[in-house]
Amino acid sequence: MSTDVDLLIVGAGPAGMAAAVTARSRGLTVLLLDENAGPGGQVHRGIEHRAAKDEQDADGAKLAAALRSSAVETRFRATLWAVEPGGKVFWSEEGAARSAVAGRILLCTGATERPLPIPGWTLPGVMTVGAAQIALKTAGLKPQGDVWIAGQGPLLWLYAKQAVEAGGRLAGIVDLSHGIPPAALRHLPRALMAPGYLLKGLAWQRRVKRAGVRVIHAEEIRAEGEGRLARIVVDGTEHAADLLLLHDGVVPNTQITRAIPGCAHDWDAVQACWKPRLDAWGNTTAEGVMVAGDGGGIGGARAAAHAGRLAALEAARALGRMTEDQRNAEAGTERLALNRQLAARPFLDALFPPRPVTAIPDETIICRCEEVTAGKVREAVTLGCLGSNQTKAFTRTGMGPCQGRVCGPVVHAVIAAARGVDPAQVDPFRTRFPTKPLTLGELAALAE
Amino acid sequence: MERYDVAVIGGGMVGTAIGYGCAERGARVIVLDEGDVALRAARGNFGLVWGQSKGDGMPAYGAWTRLSITLWPSLAERVSGFAGRDVCYSPVGGLTFCLSEQELAERRDFVHRRHNQGHGTVRIVDRRELLEMMPGCRLGPEVVGASYDPTDGHVDPLTLLRGLHAGLRAAGGVHLPGAPVVAIEPVGGEYRIARADGAAVMARRIVVAAGVATTRIAAMVGLDVPVRPVRGQNIVTERLAPILPKPASAIRQTGDGTIQIGVTSEDDGILETPTTTAALAKMAARAIRVLPPLASARMVRGWAALRPMTPDGFPAYAESATHPGCFVAVCHSGVTLAAVHAGPMAEAVMGGGMHALAAELHPDRFARMPIQHVPAI
Repeated sequence: MSTDVDLLIVGAGPAGMAAAVTARSRGLTVLLLDENAGPGGQVHRGIEHRAAKDEQDADGAKLAAALRSSAVETRFRATLWAVEPGGKVFWSEEGAARSAVAGRILLCTGATERPLPIPGWTLPGVMTVGAAQIALKTAGLKPQGDVWIAGQGPLLWLYAKQAVEAGGRLAGIVDLSHGIPPAALRHLPRALMAPGYLLKGLAWQRRVKRAGVRVIHAEEIRAEGEGRLARIVVDGTEHAADLLLLHDGVVPNTQITRAIPGCAHDWDAVQACWKPRLDAWGNTTAEGVMVAGDGGGIGGARAAAHAGRLAALEAARALGRMTEDQRNAEAGTERLALNRQLAARPFLDALFPPRPVTAIPDETIICRCEEVTAGKVREAVTLGCLGSNQTKAFTRTGMGPCQGRVCGPVVHAVIAAARGVDPAQVDPFRTRFPTKPLTLGELAALAE
Repeated sequence: MERYDVAVIGGGMVGTAIGYGCAERGARVIVLDEGDVALRAARGNFGLVWGQSKGDGMPAYGAWTRLSITLWPSLAERVSGFAGRDVCYSPVGGLTFCLSEQELAERRDFVHRRHNQGHGTVRIVDRRELLEMMPGCRLGPEVVGASYDPTDGHVDPLTLLRGLHAGLRAAGGVHLPGAPVVAIEPVGGEYRIARADGAAVMARRIVVAAGVATTRIAAMVGLDVPVRPVRGQNIVTERLAPILPKPASAIRQTGDGTIQIGVTSEDDGILETPTTTAALAKMAARAIRVLPPLASARMVRGWAALRPMTPDGFPAYAESATHPGCFVAVCHSGVTLAAVHAGPMAEAVMGGGMHALAAELHPDRFARMPIQHVPAI
């Protein structure tokens, strides 16, 4: 099959931007698709339209500028929805379905937030920290009124810091983490190889506390209100609340890779998530399909950029544009830098294990699209459902427009806990293309 | 080792219906099932309870289907109770749309054949009658007519599956998922069934209802039942206001408002269930010709499943001559036939004798047919 482009990259976050520029500089033709209006991904969202406030912003601005001055073909507001054997990809752009055949496909689809289903989390007025951060970055929406943040993880503190610095008001932070678990300590020596990371995290916490934001360490939280959020109940104590932002860490977005036949995934017990099985260059077990960045395992923005460049070099090798020796020679510094970035990861991962799903009450909804409760999922397990897919058939969880993107990690964890087995033994949702909704009219236009 | 009156091999639509029927009749039943990602036709059903197209060339199958449809209202009532949710059985009559005069002429011939073979309820309706039957329905200009059978209808197939499982459990039956069956051996008038995970059970009677794995397992009890996988793909849209009052072959609006569009028939022998854009596009294009407003509806989900297909496409039922008490049941219409499987077929397994119609669907007939490629699974 003749190809339209050497390398097709999905996602213009740090991994995708870095990979695109590197691949183009090695002579590959590159097509970069992204759902957003411009480059940056989630971490550097809207980076071309705001002043760089910190190192992370500066990284993003540099990557975006390099992308813009390269000869990479970029298509924004383009939503990929299918990858088929032979390098054929399909996406929607301006209401029409398009397709191309690529020599290699590099998926840089990043991470999604692990949902934190607490009682009342479906009330209007409850959203995720990630969504609030996007609003802050793109629309300058600062928190005002009785705004609470609850959960755990680095992103929670980063957002709180950014919100405070932007002049926003926070009523308080409900910290649901459990201090430093002993398991984390054995990863500390390695983490100190990347001290910047840990110091940054501590600095964020200090900055937030200095701004007078109250921090409550708690076990349990509920959102309550009539028709919309009015208050939160933290370990039995009520607090007035206009907005509650939830966060429980991030997991790789594997919606696309899970739909590709032959693309193996493994359970990561430390990060408590599924991730595609990758070699040291980002090759998946599906021919011609690669992954770089958080979509292959959470490593953060800087690690993503290095992984993106490594994948680009490998794509150049696979397409015969450089020898294996050339690739290895150029990869050396990138790999060193990548390893340094990943050094703190095991410590951070051990520090913020996801909240135990046994804490989710039976009546709490876990699939928002189809309004399926944790109790219904547990009931399906008693009817013989061993994994997410039979459970989906029995309960409709994961059948809505989000296609299990939001509820997937929680459904999986609830089943594993109800069965009392290692999560690695519980199959995740099988996804199928199209992995994003599109109109039948768009689809039909592709009929021969 | 646990002992059972009946061990059903296969926890899909067919096996669970028979297992439920036996348990309800007082048998101690175990349903042996594979794991979460098994090749399950039961999760890919379109959801029609349908007679108009069934049994051309095999009148016994047509009659068996009609018998099931007469038993469906009672099954729907019971299964909804077990599922704790309405199975949405809605026998409002079913259509097969024709998009050209040629399609209509071919359908007319088909309907004649059906009449000659004893299926008298189906008839051809023209566009005018279609519009009278479904006032306000925005049928596409190419729709020239349809075949119509007032006894046809549709149901929520996943609630049906769940309800059958819940019914099995309510009647004291056991469901043991997790691994395929690897061996069956007669032991002193009973059978020992061994699984790949090391589990084993004893049973006096066995029902092989293992879908696309039927050939391999039926052979263990001396039954030769060639079955090949035929892939079907499906589309589901977002929920829409009522737009299509009656279900049709390959397009229906479900009880919760989504539009379901089917369905391919891919006979390539490949044991994989991905969706393909080319097939989905073709299905979407035809659905829009039937109902143009669908062009703006968003597809939220697609899926594919493998139907177990016999050489002539009709079901196969038999009791083994070499292994008394061992039965096979395989078909690709597990939803329509659920009521006969939970009824007359369960009675046959319990020793009541094979129903005369099912007896005519013995797999012996395949030995007289040209050899077909059947993949070994």
